[in-house]
Amino acid sequence: MESFVTAFDTTVDDALFWLSDHAAFVFDGIRALLEGLYDGILWLLMLPPFWVVAVISGLIGWRVLGTGFGVVGALGLIACAAMGLWPETMSTLALVVAATAIALAVGLPLGVLAGLIPRLDGALTPALDLIQTLPPYIYLLPAIALMGYGPATALIATVIVAMPPAIRLTSLGIRQTRTEFLELGDAVGASRAQMFFKIRLPFAVPSIMAGINQSLMMAFGMVVIAGIVGSGGLGETIYSAIRTLDIATSINASIAIVVLTMLLDRMTQAAARTK
Amino acid sequence: MMQFNPGAVLAPAVDWLNANFHGFFAQVTLVIEALLGAIEAALMTLPPFAVIAIVVIAAFAAAGLRLAILAACCLGFCWLTELWQASMQTIALMLVAVIVAVAVAVPLGILAARRPAIEATLRPILDVMQTVPPWVYLIPAVMIFSLGRVPAIIATIVYGIPPMLRLTTLAFRGVPHDLRELGQAIGARPRTILWKIEFPAAKPTMLVGLNQCILLSLAMVVLAGLVGAGGLGAEVTRGLTRMEMGLGLRAGLAIVAVAILVDRLSRSALDRGRGPHKSA
Repeated sequence: MESFVTAFDTTVDDALFWLSDHAAFVFDGIRALLEGLYDGILWLLMLPPFWVVAVISGLIGWRVLGTGFGVVGALGLIACAAMGLWPETMSTLALVVAATAIALAVGLPLGVLAGLIPRLDGALTPALDLIQTLPPYIYLLPAIALMGYGPATALIATVIVAMPPAIRLTSLGIRQTRTEFLELGDAVGASRAQMFFKIRLPFAVPSIMAGINQSLMMAFGMVVIAGIVGSGGLGETIYSAIRTLDIATSINASIAIVVLTMLLDRMTQAAARTK
Repeated sequence: MMQFNPGAVLAPAVDWLNANFHGFFAQVTLVIEALLGAIEAALMTLPPFAVIAIVVIAAFAAAGLRLAILAACCLGFCWLTELWQASMQTIALMLVAVIVAVAVAVPLGILAARRPAIEATLRPILDVMQTVPPWVYLIPAVMIFSLGRVPAIIATIVYGIPPMLRLTTLAFRGVPHDLRELGQAIGARPRTILWKIEFPAAKPTMLVGLNQCILLSLAMVVLAGLVGAGGLGAEVTRGLTRMEMGLGLRAGLAIVAVAILVDRLSRSALDRGRGPHKSA
């Protein structure tokens, strides 16, 4: 028994050493790429002063959800800044945006393919089931083993968690196109590309938007958890505040997280509804 | 620039709560520790192979050979990797949280299905609860109950309530009207209608809620390793923070085993719950 556990642990350590000796350039490359994406988005978000971002968010909120939401949203973001958590709030947002962007870049095409090819859908479903069954916390393990501390690890774990809803709901949307409309397309002699872009895709848009909203929310949950691996942002603020039992800071950071989450969730949901 | 620091205002409020309601929080802690202790004792006094045997036989009786083999593999893995104790702690934490969450959510859900006013008040609260990231639930719990298993359980209960509540409401709202009228026509009392007509008809949807509640609770219990809840989550946290990757991966795989096991067990209950309805 003892020997099995020791053997397991040494094998894992050896394998990781071997990987870091022989494949370091691969992981360093991925790491540099991910951190570059994250830094770029963060740079863009930090470029204007906080009140410009708040006013722009307020305007978007006003357009999609009405005056009340716009005002509350803008005030919420200004409150984040007034609590002295603006840089952390923006780096959390940058992580979420970067992770969701990667997840969608992979998930949407895969979802479209799965919607068109039933066999691919059948192969993907058990994998997606498994990913969604496991507690998100454990996805940090392989990421940290290969990438070490930092935002890149947080991004990888977050992408894994955020991808399944995008794939699932895109595939569902594509498959749900009503037969009459497909037949109509056939009858008027639509080409395959026309069939896809003019008939299937427009019908799938509500479902795809719902998938994007869910991906975003999963990404939020994970990015905050990833504070433990040094992701930066509000998650790390809360993690260190809890460890030092600094109640005031952890309350402030939680408020900032709630503000940011509600803002993004309501906005993307509203966008899904209006389409 | 103006300063805004709600934390500085709320922190003394939390201190005040802790000072003045210490007795109440101590009571809650005592009750939860007792419940947890009983379940843990039940899981850990028996030797591992006995527990495995019981679960495997139960799985075989309930759902057949495939589930029994799966249960044997999952629990066997936890045992072989010397994480038996941690696995049982995690399962005990999860069980207690699920039991309390269901006990709170089911009556509330039934009430919400009957009274639209209650549903209208609950819905925005549930919306917010399901949007907020799980981490945030741990913070108020830690403030009041400090570190350890009790704040973990409290946060897990709160996190597990929304899906169960929502699906219970949905299930009871979906009970066909003619079934209820049939009950009234044959002169059944409201209680009989609830137990003999509404519950059986609502069962499949409620079991979906239970499955979700169990999986979310497991996720939260694992995450609560961060606040000293013990169990497999604590092992993963140790692996992550000390870079002991062997330990971390072993604990991670044990969590995978536990998650698959509880998911399949609750889903097999679901399939059986659905069975008679298909044939009916």
